[in-house]
Amino acid sequence: MEDPRWGILIVFYLFFGGLSAGLFFVSALATYLQENGSPAYPRIAQFGALLAPWPVAIGCVLLVFDLGHWYRFYKLFVTVEWHSPMSIGAWLLAGFSLITLAAFWSWLPQGFVAGLVARLPRRLRFLRVIDQPWRERLRRPLAMTGFPFSVGVGIYTGVLLGAVQARPFWNTNLVAQLFLFSALSTGCAALILILSLRGSGLEVGEAKLLYSVDITIIVLELFIVLPYVIHGKLSPLSVQQALELIMGGPYTFHFWGIFFILGLLLPLCLELWEMRPVLLNRSAPHPTRALASVSAILVILGGFVLRYVFVYAGQMSSFE
Amino acid sequence: MTRAGSHPGVSRRGFLQGAAIATAAGALVPSLGCARFLRRGNQAKAPARVVPTACEVCPNKCAVLAVTEGGRIRKLDPNPASPKSRGMLCARGNAAVKSVYDPDRVKQPLIRAGARGEGKWRTASWDEALDFTAERLQAIKDAHGPEAVVFSSTEGFQEEFFRNFGLAFGSPNLLRHPTLCLASVNLAYAMTFGTVPSFDLLNTDYVIMSGANRFESIITPDTMDLVEATMNRKAKLVYLDPRFTVTASKADEWYPIRPGTDFAFILALLHVIVGEERYDREFVTTRCLGFDELRAHLEPYTPEWAQGETEIPAADIARIARELADAAPRAAYYAGRRSSWYVNDFQMRRAQAILNAVIGSWDREGGIVPDSKIALGELLFMPWDDPVAPRVDEIDTLFPLAAQGDGIFLQARENVLAGTPYPVKGWMVYKQDPMNSLPDRGRTQQMLEQLDFVGVIDTQLSDTAWFADVVLPESTYLERLDPLHSLPGIWPVVVMRQQVVPPIHDTRPNLEIMQGLASRFGLSDYFDFTIEQWVEAQAEDLPVENPVEHLRQHGVFAAPGAPFYGSTRKPEHRFFTRTGKIELYSQRLADAGHDPLPVYTPPAQPPPGSFRMVLGRKATHTHAATTNNEWLAELTPGNDLWLNPQPALKLGIASGDLVEVSSRVGTVRLPARVTEEIRPDCVFMLHGFGKLSRALHRATGGASDADVLTTAMDRVSGNAAFHETFVTVKKVGVDRA
Amino acid sequence: MRERLGIRAKRYALAIDTRRCIDCQACVVACKAENDVPPGRFRNRVKAETKGEFPYLSASFEPEQCHHCASPSCVRVCPTGASYQRTDGLVLVDGDDCIGCGYCIIACPYDARFFNEQTRIVDKCTMCAHRVDAGRPPACVETCPTRVRTFGDLEAKDGELHVLLATRRSQFKKHESGNGPQIYYLL
Repeated sequence: MEDPRWGILIVFYLFFGGLSAGLFFVSALATYLQENGSPAYPRIAQFGALLAPWPVAIGCVLLVFDLGHWYRFYKLFVTVEWHSPMSIGAWLLAGFSLITLAAFWSWLPQGFVAGLVARLPRRLRFLRVIDQPWRERLRRPLAMTGFPFSVGVGIYTGVLLGAVQARPFWNTNLVAQLFLFSALSTGCAALILILSLRGSGLEVGEAKLLYSVDITIIVLELFIVLPYVIHGKLSPLSVQQALELIMGGPYTFHFWGIFFILGLLLPLCLELWEMRPVLLNRSAPHPTRALASVSAILVILGGFVLRYVFVYAGQMSSFE
Repeated sequence: MTRAGSHPGVSRRGFLQGAAIATAAGALVPSLGCARFLRRGNQAKAPARVVPTACEVCPNKCAVLAVTEGGRIRKLDPNPASPKSRGMLCARGNAAVKSVYDPDRVKQPLIRAGARGEGKWRTASWDEALDFTAERLQAIKDAHGPEAVVFSSTEGFQEEFFRNFGLAFGSPNLLRHPTLCLASVNLAYAMTFGTVPSFDLLNTDYVIMSGANRFESIITPDTMDLVEATMNRKAKLVYLDPRFTVTASKADEWYPIRPGTDFAFILALLHVIVGEERYDREFVTTRCLGFDELRAHLEPYTPEWAQGETEIPAADIARIARELADAAPRAAYYAGRRSSWYVNDFQMRRAQAILNAVIGSWDREGGIVPDSKIALGELLFMPWDDPVAPRVDEIDTLFPLAAQGDGIFLQARENVLAGTPYPVKGWMVYKQDPMNSLPDRGRTQQMLEQLDFVGVIDTQLSDTAWFADVVLPESTYLERLDPLHSLPGIWPVVVMRQQVVPPIHDTRPNLEIMQGLASRFGLSDYFDFTIEQWVEAQAEDLPVENPVEHLRQHGVFAAPGAPFYGSTRKPEHRFFTRTGKIELYSQRLADAGHDPLPVYTPPAQPPPGSFRMVLGRKATHTHAATTNNEWLAELTPGNDLWLNPQPALKLGIASGDLVEVSSRVGTVRLPARVTEEIRPDCVFMLHGFGKLSRALHRATGGASDADVLTTAMDRVSGNAAFHETFVTVKKVGVDRA
Repeated sequence: MRERLGIRAKRYALAIDTRRCIDCQACVVACKAENDVPPGRFRNRVKAETKGEFPYLSASFEPEQCHHCASPSCVRVCPTGASYQRTDGLVLVDGDDCIGCGYCIIACPYDARFFNEQTRIVDKCTMCAHRVDAGRPPACVETCPTRVRTFGDLEAKDGELHVLLATRRSQFKKHESGNGPQIYYLL
């Protein structure tokens, strides 16, 4: 292709989509894990749910304005083209948005809602309906329903790329997995970041959960990236040439320097360091604000650069 | 009234509203679906209005069907009715639409408002511009006589009116473009056969071409026929060129011949064919004159000798000669078109013509065939007196054999600059850009600057127009009705060019411009007709009912019974030469002080460290005329200097680097293109770029070959010799891409 | 059923004889004119390559455009169904339904599609469907001075294209794409 059709707006969208998916997944996980009939990690659950709808909403707005005719975006929702990952993705996003918005509503603190309703002007009085006492009871069902949608949103961005046989840089099964795990990881990291910076920082239980999830996911990502490269080197020439873009080509530093080292290895080390009491003596971790936030920021940065590399390098690769 | 927030069920009103919406949606969705189904079905679109006409972007005059929509020309399609253009239309022909709607076109008459070449113009009405032109011309005529105005033009259907005006004005100095192009080849063939023949490439078995880059430089019927011949008939193509052109890539054999030595190659072919008795004995003895002299003359021109000159192996030369002779009469040495190469070009083409004669392919299928032509009627109008003064280019004394009607362009320029044999003070130009077509642009500019008056008739503000005092905009060919044109050839046709859209700007066809000028000189009687009347008179005798109507409908009248072979092979036929025979030996040449048989002279060599500049054309541009066309400029926005990697390495030049090319008359800068496709001793730049006119906003790329080319002429025909220029090349910048 | 009724589906395809191609660009300009292709964009191109070292050189010229594949990936990935294939094989873009997301541009192994900045939708060679449906050849086919292109219906057994492809060997570009391209490059 002469010039890449998908640019930085798409990179942002993919990143925000993954971030939202990850946020909701972790929030749903935190909701699911109960202790004495209530969520074991209420702050994770709540922050995750409150934040989840918004990154992807921004991403969708960016996406809509990247279209040729932005107002035609509705055409995505008058049909289901089963063979098109983008069509499936659009519907998944629709479902995801509805669920996460409902979850957002369900997790709003009662005091906040009451205060909001009290200050409503006359014309908007009908909005009082948002103050329903049974909001809280939706939390768990929404989390359960939302799991598959968040996995769907997290993975479909990878399928979007992976299904394109014309782009050897993308055309592998591993891309979907890579994007999913990266999404979950950025979601985790975002929550680590926010909770470490709030008040007294991460609680021990929260740290254990979030770090464990993130460490697992990062290790899984390593087990995708390395086979991706090794397998690619053993593939037909076009794939080998595509890989050159990150093995000596223009995106080498972005991929290995920023995404792999700064975005995967370094956070892994930092998080393992934070978790070393758990790993070594089975005692409680003491999360430090500094290390937690640095590690989280690196993960988020890495997630962004991963998508940046894939979007641009992918469009440069072709079968010759 | 129900309160908001406590609907137990749906109200009747709500139900009706809902039902209405559902029905509307129910009707809308299938109708959208129907619309979509219809939209995606048969998508045929018939062209709104089709007008047959003839193209003018190059001299081929291919038949075109112009499609218009809503008063705008939408597309130009090929017209399959013309056997001459064989149902095709090249890139240039297709692109002509953009020239009509070019925003840089001259939209109304312009009169110079600043210094010459400064680019300051003021718009004027036609009356004002014509008055201005007439006044200035009259002033020159009064002071220096009508011969002090030169009228130069390039071929076109309305050129005749321009020249007639020049003659009526009283000037002998009518110049045309052949001595910048094909005067040498035309004269050579005319001196040999009495006429310039066409080549029946469609039916050939063997063709040798020197440099005539038929697959790249211009797309003509010969291009199409050669493809059919080489692909279908398996005809063999041998091609000589210092460059690996598109034709070289398609040829069966390509020789990167040492430039300027094709002459030696041809003489060696003759030596073998004559020496080994492979010529057409019967034809030579009955129809040709001077064979014995020729045989003796060819003695020293052996293939071994030619190898030394051309760098083509002697064994190959001998073999090619035998193959050519064996393939005859379906064989030819292609004459070429632009023959403005070397100062001995005429003699080289003479050798060619002689070769074609002795192999006996004259007027035979697959050989070289004299043109047939459909006769057109004439509108009779007042004849004028012959001009009194002699021509300023001294053609009678310097080039007595050359075509008087065309003149010797470069000699004219040099004489005007020198003020000999008499002063010339004015120059009227029609459909021509001497600033770019002549070598040594500096001198052309100098000439224009020293004139009292320069008037240009053109569709765009060319470089020549840029230095004019008045620009009279002609309507483009798609906006006017032109005289009919009878295209000579093996498949002769008459083509009509008719108006497709009325002029979109305040422009006029040349006839009207000439009529406007003529009226101001009291010469109206010479132009007392309309173009319609002219066309009627031309078409009168065509063997078809309602000829004008026929032409308007079909665009073309093709001669029934074509192709025509053999009419000159009848024993009683007298060739249009002095002796009535094909003159291998030309007494006329001897009488004029030239070699009666072609004597080889080697080309001048570039001094050490310099290169010979060779020129050429490309399918996407017509000389310097189309570089502002949006679609053509997109494909070929500029030129670069072709340089072989060996000398490039020595000079430290890489592709894309900016280089300075200098000859003894000028210097230009352009990017280098280091390529294997050219000999190490040559450089090449495509003609037509490096415009001075700032009114041509798209034509800003590249450099002009005219700035560096030195002035040289063929000795017999006066044709410009463009390949005698030597240049040095120096790197001045690095490619930043 | 269609066969019994005598309705034969067409299958349009294009044969290109690159030996004849001289890179004159007539097809490119004709397409531009016929289809209002915006400046800087091309629905078709000629790929020119020269190789070798002086004086042993060769050149090839290969026209390229949408291959109207039998199994087009561009149609598969389109989320609105705007990219569609007719029963006669032509792959087209419905100008009303295209949202300009560009997925099909990226999915095409032949880089045949582009974003048209003027119409703001995806654009590509339509094989001049508006001409073909009226019984005329595509503009590029009609204009070619050296008769490089043969367009026709593969199903028409006595048609020029069918006979040509039956009697000459041909190959496809990027056969491994699996799309089943329908431009036959004659060998």
